[in-house]
Amino acid sequence: MSLLNVRDLRVYYRISKGMVRAVDGVNLYMDKGDFLGLAGESGCGKTTLALSITRLLPDNAKIISGSILFDGVDLLKLREDELRENYRWKRISIVFQGAMNALNPVFRVGDQIVQAICTHENIGKKEAWERVERLFSLVGLSPERAKDYPHEFSGGMKQRAIIALALACNPDLIIADEPVTALDVIVQAQILELIRSLRDKLGLSMIIITHDLSVIADTCNKAAIMYAGKIVEFSDIVSLFKNPLHPYSQGLLANYPSIEEEAKSFEPIGGRPPDLLNPPSGCRFHPRCPYVMDVCRRVEPNLIDVGGGHLVACHRVMKS
Amino acid sequence: MFRHEISVLWKRFKIFMDQFMMSRLGVFGLAILTVFISLSIFAPYLSSYSIKASEGNIHEVLKPPSNRHIFGTDELGRDVFTLIIHGGRISLLVGFLATIISGGLGALIGSIAGYFGSWLDDILMRITDLFLVIPGLPLMIVLSALLGRSIWNIIFVIGILSWTGTARVIRSQVMSIKEKPFIESVKAAGAGDLWVLRKHILPNVLPLIAAQMTLQVGGAILSESALSFLGLGDPTHVSWGMILHYAFSCGALSSGCWWYILPPGICIALVVLAFSFIGYAMDQIVNPRIRRR
Amino acid sequence: MGFRSFVFRRSIESLITIFIVITLNFYLFRIMPGDPVSIMFNPSISPEAKEIMLKEMGLDKPLLDQYVIYLRNLLRGNLGYSFLLHEPVFKAILERLPNTILLMLSSNIIAIFLGVVLGALAAWKRGSVTDVSSIILSLSLYSMPMFWLGGMMILVFSVQFHLFPIFGIVTPGVDYSSFWDYAWDVLRHLTLPMISLGVGTFGGLFLIMRNTMLDALTEDYTLTAKAIGLKNRTIIFKNVMRNAMLPLITIVSLRLGFMVAGSILTETVFSWPGVGRLIYSSVLAHDYQLLQGAFLIITILVVLANFIADIIYGVADPRIRF
Repeated sequence: MSLLNVRDLRVYYRISKGMVRAVDGVNLYMDKGDFLGLAGESGCGKTTLALSITRLLPDNAKIISGSILFDGVDLLKLREDELRENYRWKRISIVFQGAMNALNPVFRVGDQIVQAICTHENIGKKEAWERVERLFSLVGLSPERAKDYPHEFSGGMKQRAIIALALACNPDLIIADEPVTALDVIVQAQILELIRSLRDKLGLSMIIITHDLSVIADTCNKAAIMYAGKIVEFSDIVSLFKNPLHPYSQGLLANYPSIEEEAKSFEPIGGRPPDLLNPPSGCRFHPRCPYVMDVCRRVEPNLIDVGGGHLVACHRVMKS
Repeated sequence: MFRHEISVLWKRFKIFMDQFMMSRLGVFGLAILTVFISLSIFAPYLSSYSIKASEGNIHEVLKPPSNRHIFGTDELGRDVFTLIIHGGRISLLVGFLATIISGGLGALIGSIAGYFGSWLDDILMRITDLFLVIPGLPLMIVLSALLGRSIWNIIFVIGILSWTGTARVIRSQVMSIKEKPFIESVKAAGAGDLWVLRKHILPNVLPLIAAQMTLQVGGAILSESALSFLGLGDPTHVSWGMILHYAFSCGALSSGCWWYILPPGICIALVVLAFSFIGYAMDQIVNPRIRRR
Repeated sequence: MGFRSFVFRRSIESLITIFIVITLNFYLFRIMPGDPVSIMFNPSISPEAKEIMLKEMGLDKPLLDQYVIYLRNLLRGNLGYSFLLHEPVFKAILERLPNTILLMLSSNIIAIFLGVVLGALAAWKRGSVTDVSSIILSLSLYSMPMFWLGGMMILVFSVQFHLFPIFGIVTPGVDYSSFWDYAWDVLRHLTLPMISLGVGTFGGLFLIMRNTMLDALTEDYTLTAKAIGLKNRTIIFKNVMRNAMLPLITIVSLRLGFMVAGSILTETVFSWPGVGRLIYSSVLAHDYQLLQGAFLIITILVVLANFIADIIYGVADPRIRF
């Protein structure tokens, strides 16, 4: 059952030097119950994509074209108050990057979640508070801590609190932008375990945005690789890890040391991330691609299904 | 000896001026200030009326504006417009000189506290806090009353009581420069404190000092006008504050002599506003704290 | 632990500051140029009276002894005698203190309200006409000398349109039939000075509020609030304002000195019988005992107000308490 269908989305930022093409023709598809991992380098447009869904972009960003169908409704065409009342948090919530500062330091954590609940549902403060305590237990926090202030929480606890906040109104979709990046490894593992348990318990759908493929491997069933504002590969997890088709995905996966194999040196992907003010012509990856062909420099490859729901945008793959 | 520093500063100044000219507020303020400074400098040539108390026209006391007196006359028959443009000289002069004292003092204290740190910093900051807590104008009043009514006393009093703001800003700037890695390497190469101060800290701090001082001239002018208004001004010099003092004392208020009261206040407001605009524009360019935002 | 030790520490610091102020007050008036005798007394008293006062004030003794006598007098509430008002300095100040507090409190409320609300509004609608015009308005008012602003208000509203009385706190020579009549008369007299002082001082508060609001609006928690689906008005006035007001409390306490300056000037212009006007009268009449006493009281009160503001800040910002 289709939950989210992003079609040809283009989002540009206006800066003094021109327009930065952060998201440049992105297509994405999610079913109910999917945990989709969105991977890519910093600056490739992942966060912009995430923020576009409920239109939380800064003032200098503009959604140029495209549609975002959520449960059949195009979110880009909704009026602001309709979006605000019925979709934000109620159906789509976000776990922000750098959640350390996502909580307001002068209010108690529980109060902030209560505010979110009471904004969308007509229930009393007492009932809302009870739900907060249940949510806290769900995410592995002691319910009394809801009365505390954010600075009294450790990093891992804050992340759990943010997840509790994201669950407050029983949303259909949670977008988690780098949910574990700022945490140390042990806490990371705990949070990933939490996310997995929530997936099993609540039947949520989630988009997990990260540059760390191992996080995706740990929690998701589908993955999309993003590069320079475009999706270059999309498939289920197993196919992607076993058989990455796009040279960029191959480069990303090749550099993951395996405990089982012999130690070998890293082979980083040559070159640097492209300038989104003036992206390269044709395939955006072509300046760094070890298999570059002449057509790659001239023509942009489309995202094509090469079998079994595995999509790739690469001329070389097309040829074979 | 300082030739190299001066040429570096001059180049920076030219870059700064280019940026400054792009700020509408800054240019506007500069324009207003230029007008007032010109009026002050050329005051004796702009009007033939005398400002001497004994040379007023007693037949034309407290007369409203007319063809002969565009701002009317005061209670001694003097032309108010002439008083205003001469008053500007003193007000501006006091503002400048007092700010030079407070700016210099503030920069000195701020740099020492910021650079040498530890107990010296503690003591200086305690003193600064003390000066911050004690209300400014009452202390100025007390000092002026005890020292006597002279223009130099006023400049001195305003100067030694207005340095705290500059001191704090300079101190944090010096502290942040001091922390930078390149200072460590320069010192490791054998540079003494004086060298570091002269070559590295001073050029980076000077623009900030200039911006702070510009922002403070307005305050100094307001302080002088307040002191003069309260009767602590120098009776031998006409300033805008003194004009208002005489205006209020002779009952111009209850008699409705608005031409005597309105102009000096507007001049003060315009000049203070001009300095605020210029100082704000300067601050936007040179203050690293704001630039980062 | 946290909060109590915080209060304790601040109390000690305030007491030390007050002590330094007392000492400063003493030495200032003793070491200034000029004969200490002529400074302290009305020049027209007789030589015999002078001798008596000298002995009583201990001005013939070494400085340190004088200091001790001064402190002792202080503890007994003896701030000297005002020859201008023919009453003890302490009594004179105490009588006028309520008037000053009334004026300062009422004008502060106006200034804080204007500064906070306009500041939040300007930050919310950054770059709009509302924003730019409030900046211009507050900066202009802030640049005007406060006594001149008061004077202009008198010119327009009292002299020209006869809407408000010009001087004082009550109409002279009037008998009041009830408390409410008295209160109404005071209110009529209070209106202009209160508005003048409030409007003249809100500029600084406005600019700072606007800046802190703009900062807070770029914080992550503001984006979270928006993502949750809160209305813009709720975000600004409920969530973000709390954050922006924290530094404001500090700034308000720093501005107290400024407010005191304003009240001195405003009281003088409106002949409002408060402590500020007392300072003006004492300077005019060279009544230095009165000046010294008034200065001391005002400064001590400012230090106390700063202390209270610090405590309030400690209560308001949960991060400080722990």
